[in-house]
Amino acid sequence: MPSKPEDIMKGFKLNWMNLRDADSGKVLWQSSDDLSIPEKEHEARVPKKVLKCRAVSREINFSSKEPMDKFRLEQRVLFKGKCLEEWYFDFGFVIPGSTNTWQSLIEAAPESQMMPANVLNGNVVIETRFYDEDMCVSVSKVRIFYV
Amino acid sequence: MGLLSLLRKLRSNPDLELRILLLGLDNAGKTTLLKVLASEDITHITPTQGFNIKSVQSKGFKLNVWDIGGQRRIRPYWKNYFENTDILIYVIDSADRKRFEETGEELTELFDEEKLAGVPVLVFANKQDLMNAAQWSEIADGLNLNSVRDRAWQVQPCSAITGEGVKEGIEWMTQACNKKK
Repeated sequence: MPSKPEDIMKGFKLNWMNLRDADSGKVLWQSSDDLSIPEKEHEARVPKKVLKCRAVSREINFSSKEPMDKFRLEQRVLFKGKCLEEWYFDFGFVIPGSTNTWQSLIEAAPESQMMPANVLNGNVVIETRFYDEDMCVSVSKVRIFYV
Repeated sequence: MGLLSLLRKLRSNPDLELRILLLGLDNAGKTTLLKVLASEDITHITPTQGFNIKSVQSKGFKLNVWDIGGQRRIRPYWKNYFENTDILIYVIDSADRKRFEETGEELTELFDEEKLAGVPVLVFANKQDLMNAAQWSEIADGLNLNSVRDRAWQVQPCSAITGEGVKEGIEWMTQACNKKK
């Protein structure tokens, strides 16, 4: 028996998120406890030097009480609402009572094409939408400040 | 090491997407290996209660590495993650002699899986830094690998913690992967 949508949504929790310099593996930013509060736009204060990294990884940790068959996510990096980068990822099955992580790593644009920190500051939002097939399970938005 | 360099090595493969599956009993060191591959800190690793995935993308080429928890409760769900696997990495705790039989049985079952037919298998005989670790030859014999003829396989002694042997395993995997296509 597939789980009911409301049970899936109630049993889903986004635990934390981080950003790393993918070359050194060092964490540049890690979310606080409030990430699991849905409907809230979260803020990340990330050191400016992240823009100098050749590659940055984003990691998400989530739990699900219910099994899901066709779990997937869509992650977008938006600049003033315009999509700069997007990822679609199909997880497929999610184990009931599981805690899972997904990390995505992408090379940075060449430095010449990189927008400066003061232009990006507060205008970049990482939006992650979680779905079980077509049902939206959760949405997370994190606004990035370069400090 | 870094995942981007791994991706670059594998890029000679004509496939645009590669899937690596990491399996093995709990406490074998799968997550530690995955983190070592990504040059990440390995001091705070807890038992995996589901999966850990690393996705790397560069110039249209994608690599996804799936690490699935090895606890007994989770093993029945492994089969949900077999499809489209290009390489299976099976991790063994070489010092956990009491569970050699158990890990051998799990590996044998994987060899019998239709969805994993012909998939090259890299067995990492991990934790070689421990005093009582078994030699790789002993492990290969114990797993009865010498009778496996329907796929490429390799036993690579390693220590995820010291990094010893990891690079060699990756080399083999790269070759096996590029040969396969």
